[in-house]
Amino acid sequence: MFSAIARVFRTPDLRRKLLFTLAIIAIYRVGVFIPAPGVDYSNVQQCLAAGTTSGGLYQFVNLFSGGALLQVSIFAMGIMPYITASIIVQLLRVVIPRFEELHKEGQAGQATLTQYTRYLTIALGLLQATTLVSLARSGALFAGCTLPVVPDDSLLVVLLMVITLTAGTGLIMWMGELVTEKGVGNGMSLLIFVSIASGFPASMGQIISTQGWWVFAGVMLIGIVVVALVVFVEQSQRRIPVQYAKRMVGRRTVGGTSTYIPLKVNMAGVIPVIFASSMLALPAMLVQFNIRPDGTLPDWALWVQTHLSGTSPLYMAIYALMILFFTYFYVAITFNPTEVADNMKNYGGFIPGIRAGRPTAEYLQYVLARITLPGAIYLAFVALIPLIAFVQIGADQNFPFGGTSILIMVGVGLETVKQINAQMQQRHYEGLLR
Amino acid sequence: MTETAAGSSQGAPHHKKQAKTGFFAGIALFFRQMIAELRKVVTPTRSELVNYTLVVLGFVALVMLIVSGLDYVFGNGSILIFTNPTEQ
Repeated sequence: MFSAIARVFRTPDLRRKLLFTLAIIAIYRVGVFIPAPGVDYSNVQQCLAAGTTSGGLYQFVNLFSGGALLQVSIFAMGIMPYITASIIVQLLRVVIPRFEELHKEGQAGQATLTQYTRYLTIALGLLQATTLVSLARSGALFAGCTLPVVPDDSLLVVLLMVITLTAGTGLIMWMGELVTEKGVGNGMSLLIFVSIASGFPASMGQIISTQGWWVFAGVMLIGIVVVALVVFVEQSQRRIPVQYAKRMVGRRTVGGTSTYIPLKVNMAGVIPVIFASSMLALPAMLVQFNIRPDGTLPDWALWVQTHLSGTSPLYMAIYALMILFFTYFYVAITFNPTEVADNMKNYGGFIPGIRAGRPTAEYLQYVLARITLPGAIYLAFVALIPLIAFVQIGADQNFPFGGTSILIMVGVGLETVKQINAQMQQRHYEGLLR
Repeated sequence: MTETAAGSSQGAPHHKKQAKTGFFAGIALFFRQMIAELRKVVTPTRSELVNYTLVVLGFVALVMLIVSGLDYVFGNGSILIFTNPTEQ
């Protein structure tokens, strides 16, 4: 293993890419610690130390911004607006015909779509920045902490804060794209991975200090088993054989090869889980905005708070159902059997035993519908692990070895290491994965 | 590869037959077909699984180390710079 890592650094090309990625990560972490203008840093630190954040919603967002949100730093929004924007643009392809046209156009259309994603990111960043600043001003960000987070809340300071946070969103988006372009791995997912990883030591320490070493060892063991499970499912695929017809182009025979279409069991990745969690965060947000001045809640909000959050059975059931729904929805958007069948027909490919054209598309749809159900159930199961198992030992909902974080962790880890591996094999080294 | 050939799946999509059967029979059929498709899934071998798992764990540990190192430096640095010395 260590010799392999040494080899990575001896490859000049790869070394440059890795160092570039590390530099971007370092810049990203610096930004997390620089407070936004107008924020009283010592007050924020004292409020954080008091440790009474107002729960669910913020914890989820805070996880994805690597602790930056609650520090009200210049990178408080994190990479989340960019991710949300790109998911929204992908989903809009179903609704807006022009987006579908652009998607089919290839390179040029894709560039336009990326441009739309960037505008949407800035818009979302602006929206979230405004929300965060208004929460910080009213003191609702830290429930029970009376120290003012923003001591001087004149209009000018508030405007400056909003602009700074939005600019931070834009900067992170740019850094993510730079990593994709010049570094290793996909920048967007790598930055979210870094944010999640930054929270690990703290939550591990919390378990050790509150539950002792034995529980910690048990949790670690469960974590490793879950990682292995996720790796197993991520690597499983249904391979649909495709035969290419031999044809003569000039004097040469072309084709005649047999290959396969890999259909992953979990084709949707982590996106259904992210979607379901953000949907379910909406009622919690509504409750936040409806707290009466004297701190009590209206009846409906109280009901929402007890039944639609954390560990209530109703919440878990809705969560699981939403994940099932979004898995099918997302697979239907990203994989188009008709398109694949048409492509195969154009290049003289066919699935043995099935006619080209419509029957092929129908067959692909048939396999896809049956292979996605176990994938969706698996996603719901992994997402519910922290809710079911770890509540007993008092770990919070965003415990490192469960749900969204573990799926992102394994996905990004595999993708990045595979990319490094491919680069090494280009230079005839044996690579990291033997 | 030969054993996963598509031709071996029992008759692929046949919805016309499905429409005539009852609701629960349809569900049962779907689950039987699902299991039939699951059998054709290619899973990673034991050594692949162990290898990938170790690689992922190693990668996570490495990133965690780097990030906590960076956080330690930047965190203490920002406390030095931004905290009001009179309050401490």
